[in-house]
Amino acid sequence: MKNGRIAIPSMEMGGLDGQRSGHFGHCDVFTLVDVEDGGIKRVTTISNQEHVQGGCMVPVNLLSGHKVNALVVGGIGMRPLMGFKQVGIDVYYDATRPEIRPVVEDLIAGRLPMIEEDQVCGGGGGAGQLL
Amino acid sequence: MVPDNCYKGLIMFNLLLVTPDKNSLYDFASCLEKRSDVGLSWAESGNKALAILSTASIDLVVTDEELGDMSGLELAFRLLSVNPLINCVVLSSLSPEEYHEAGEGLGLMAQLPVQPDENQAEEILERLKGLKRLSAEMNIDRA
Repeated sequence: MKNGRIAIPSMEMGGLDGQRSGHFGHCDVFTLVDVEDGGIKRVTTISNQEHVQGGCMVPVNLLSGHKVNALVVGGIGMRPLMGFKQVGIDVYYDATRPEIRPVVEDLIAGRLPMIEEDQVCGGGGGAGQLL
Repeated sequence: MVPDNCYKGLIMFNLLLVTPDKNSLYDFASCLEKRSDVGLSWAESGNKALAILSTASIDLVVTDEELGDMSGLELAFRLLSVNPLINCVVLSSLSPEEYHEAGEGLGLMAQLPVQPDENQAEEILERLKGLKRLSAEMNIDRA
């Protein structure tokens, strides 16, 4: 990624040196990383909305409203994934590393894969659990 | 803060009820038909519902457990490819645990028993209003 905004579901305070949340819809905050000319320009965080049943589109709308271009998850359901695709947010996948920084660096470098449908929770796919 | 005038006046919620037998949703629909803020339409099969959903503006799909051409859960899954923003409720005789397992990833708004009653219709409508309110608050906060 040369330019754009990356969102990472995060635990507690988030931030580039924080820990990723294994449950996309239940994270404490989203860490937002602004990328310019292939480098990290700015890091901010936004609070996640309280999760309600059937409220998969709430974080979709939240991140879309904050001009996010890419999202990195360790697991996600089919409905929010399709929602992100509908609003133009690419969803990347890493189910092994709990730290935010190396995952962001890999995404910027083009080393992070986009999520495949068989990696999606439910909807016929297997569950993706971080760590 | 959400301005008061966002909730005044008529807010129309469009629901699509999907069932091959309208009797299964009779009580549920009767409650909602009395309301001036709810629009109801019907589809007698999953494929007919998908055809409607590809063009109509629908806020919530309430689908029967079996539709003849597919199950309600399959309709919920296929709905994701049509418009994942549409909320969905499935009537089901499964236990809550089985329903949760079967519906994983589909983002279903709720489980309803087969032949839901008027109270359940009111609860579902309130839940839908809550979701809409959440979305509206986010948009207004960013305005």
